[in-house]
Amino acid sequence: MARRYEKPVIHRLHMGHTNKFGFASPYGAKVRKSIDGVPIEELVSRFGSPLFVFSERRLRQKFREVKNAFTLRYPHVEFSWSYKTNYLDAIVAILHSEGATAEVVSEFEYEKARRMGIPGPKIIYNGPYKPIDSLRVAVSEGARINIDTFEEIADLERVADEVGKRPKVAIRVNMDTGIYPRWSRFGFNYESGQAWDAVKRIALGGKLDLIGLHCHMGTFILKPEAYEIETRKLVELAYRIEDEFGFKIEYIDVGGGFPSRNRLKGIYLPPEVAVPPIEEYAERITTALLNNLRPGDYPLLILESGRAIVDEAGFLITTVHATKRLPDGRRGYVLDAGVNVLFTAFWYHFNVEVDREVSGAAEPCVLYGPLCMNIDVVEDRAHLPPLPRGTRLILSPVGAYNVTQWMQFIRYRPAVVLIGENGEVDLIREAEDISDIVSRERVPERLKPKS
Amino acid sequence: MIRVAVSGINAVDNPGPGVGIAKGIRESGLEVEIYGLAYDSMDPGIYMKWLFSRSFIMPYPSEGEEVFLQRLLYIKHNYGLDVLVSALDAELPLLIKAADRLQTYGIRTFLPTYEQFKLRAKDRLPEVAERIGVKVPETRVVSSYEELVKATNDLGFPVMVKGIFYKAKKAYNVGEATAHFNEIVSEWGYPVIVQKVVQGEEMNVVGLGDGEGGHYGLVAIKKLWITSLGKIWTGVTVHNENLLKATERFVGEFKWRGGFEFECIVSGEDIYLIEINPRFPAWVYFSAGVGVNLPARLLKAALGLDVERDWDYEAGKLYVRYTDDLVADMAMFQSIVLKGEV
Amino acid sequence: MKTGGKLMKLAISDEGFIFDPETGNSYTTNPTGLLILRMLKEGKGEEEIVKALTEEFGAEEEEARRDLYDFLEQLRAYGLVEGV
Repeated sequence: MARRYEKPVIHRLHMGHTNKFGFASPYGAKVRKSIDGVPIEELVSRFGSPLFVFSERRLRQKFREVKNAFTLRYPHVEFSWSYKTNYLDAIVAILHSEGATAEVVSEFEYEKARRMGIPGPKIIYNGPYKPIDSLRVAVSEGARINIDTFEEIADLERVADEVGKRPKVAIRVNMDTGIYPRWSRFGFNYESGQAWDAVKRIALGGKLDLIGLHCHMGTFILKPEAYEIETRKLVELAYRIEDEFGFKIEYIDVGGGFPSRNRLKGIYLPPEVAVPPIEEYAERITTALLNNLRPGDYPLLILESGRAIVDEAGFLITTVHATKRLPDGRRGYVLDAGVNVLFTAFWYHFNVEVDREVSGAAEPCVLYGPLCMNIDVVEDRAHLPPLPRGTRLILSPVGAYNVTQWMQFIRYRPAVVLIGENGEVDLIREAEDISDIVSRERVPERLKPKS
Repeated sequence: MIRVAVSGINAVDNPGPGVGIAKGIRESGLEVEIYGLAYDSMDPGIYMKWLFSRSFIMPYPSEGEEVFLQRLLYIKHNYGLDVLVSALDAELPLLIKAADRLQTYGIRTFLPTYEQFKLRAKDRLPEVAERIGVKVPETRVVSSYEELVKATNDLGFPVMVKGIFYKAKKAYNVGEATAHFNEIVSEWGYPVIVQKVVQGEEMNVVGLGDGEGGHYGLVAIKKLWITSLGKIWTGVTVHNENLLKATERFVGEFKWRGGFEFECIVSGEDIYLIEINPRFPAWVYFSAGVGVNLPARLLKAALGLDVERDWDYEAGKLYVRYTDDLVADMAMFQSIVLKGEV
Repeated sequence: MKTGGKLMKLAISDEGFIFDPETGNSYTTNPTGLLILRMLKEGKGEEEIVKALTEEFGAEEEEARRDLYDFLEQLRAYGLVEGV
């Protein structure tokens, strides 16, 4: 054999689109043969494809990096794990072992946190919809509740009477910090005076202990300055409350929304340039605290960071099932994983790596998922060399929001494994089978198939 | 022999500054070899062999920092590279961030800091204007139709509707303003800037800050004629004391380093700041033509040489841009397409 | 396989650069694509081309045949060969 085989390709040169690196990048295919030293092929042969893989080492490292950024700058910090980002038991167990408390937004997440051994006082209960039954449990167990609506104030007062306990609460505030879109639908507006009205309402009722202020501006916020404005406004509000109503604001919860190094669609710059380091966020927030707090007063700073911590710890291995030539000349690949398990594909361009050296020039191609739906596109502007069937692609970062937002539509959800710091690979969620899906279904007697 | 790479060699109808920069550097009196950094095989600079002895296709900055720097190192390793003169907005954040690394590799630059670079955002202009004592046209930052309509009510028509970094369109009624708003949002996202239209003379200053509050020369131009894309086609040098003083205050206040363009509207005694470009404009060769060779001075500053500071150019010199033709061989195209260099 | 006269008129360089003097379009191809184009110009058929790909490049026959179809589909899309 004289030369190495590569699939035959021909490209027409379009004037104005003849950037050599656009279609013939020597760097087009990044090769990843292993994750944390475990070969891709070994993972797939043991657990199948597609497969979510989490790295304990990366997760702990990132958590400590983010934690250090804040604790080195401010004496009193609590990290509350944003359950919605990733609530797999094994993942939250790692984060709790690092000292994170739990931030939950539903009774389901609340139950999950309790099940993981987190006591009520270590739970922060957020969200616009908190059923009254769940408030009863949260109040009697001493959880901190960040109030979102006036109705919730009334509900909590009712619960306080019923269970004979004074609920520990904060109000969620939304405000103008110079970022867009403004999440004005959550909590009480700062500028309009709504937040102040909520405080007055709580004071009037006299049944709740207002001990904190909460704000969560948005998601994937690329402007650290916005956090400085947010923190300053919260501190100002806290002192106004303390001075006028005598509540002691014990915690300032600045929420989360810190970006990961993921490539958000519509942002031109690569993440290593566009995404500011976490230190910059920490600097802004803690500076705003130290500059505005009264001497000797160090309220608890709470952070609900999720994505910035777990996103880069997660990978998805997927397999090329078939190849299509599209009428516009591009190549399309059918993969065994699509938007059913990769919800974040709607917002991100993932980092796409290949499990082997593939010779040949990179060409524009589309990565399709396995669904019979047109929207099932994992990546519509990939540049890859022609891939043989069976090639594994490794997509990252996928650790945040995918294993919580994935949907069971026509397919079973795949297995999730964790590569431990010791190098061992553990199954942390089994691949589903039909029993997971039909176990709660009931067929009326008259409709049962006759055998 | 100093080997300099210059980007932005797309001398097309919306031209990059690279060709003008190369012309200036060629007249510097230094012994130089100039490479062109291109993003497309059809960038005209590639075919101007009298300016660029070699040209290289670069990966887009959006491909990632590592890939971009590897390409520069490839050029350095194979052909030698001492200085990089960047002239494209899209490259600047990456290069500013990597400037120290490039320096350790022996590739020098003379760029603004990241803090300075961020001043180009239009929502920062009021702050800049206040610090240097000039005006900005009355401005609203909007992110919804409601706010847009309110802004136009406050400001009155006509208004300029602008993207945070790029694009500016004039609107005479709510319908037009809404159409521009939608177009800008779809291309550049939120927020959108709505600005009162100020009557006056459109004047721009090109300059080179030394990074310590001083500068290596300024040249002011009044636009006489612009193309349908809004690019300057003919202009004339002016000595507008107020404008030049304001530009010097800008350089001094922010300790600007590197090339820049300061875009203003001058209305009698009033200076309205419209835009700050953190790099040389496409008409930068004009400075060399009137005796203040800013591209050459930037090269000297990057090299750490003594740099001239005189800038007593004559008012009333004309800048005339024109089109030209050249004939090239398919072999050059083939080489740049297949090898990424020629 | 009907290739028509178009292929005969293409200027194909050893490096894989193709210029169509009739339309002014340019193309690039890789070594396997170059081999297929040359063989098509010589009037060779599917079997011979698949054989050459397996012998000269060590491709699996099934993969080579699948890839040849795909390549021909591209040539048809660009109007460089006619018919089906």
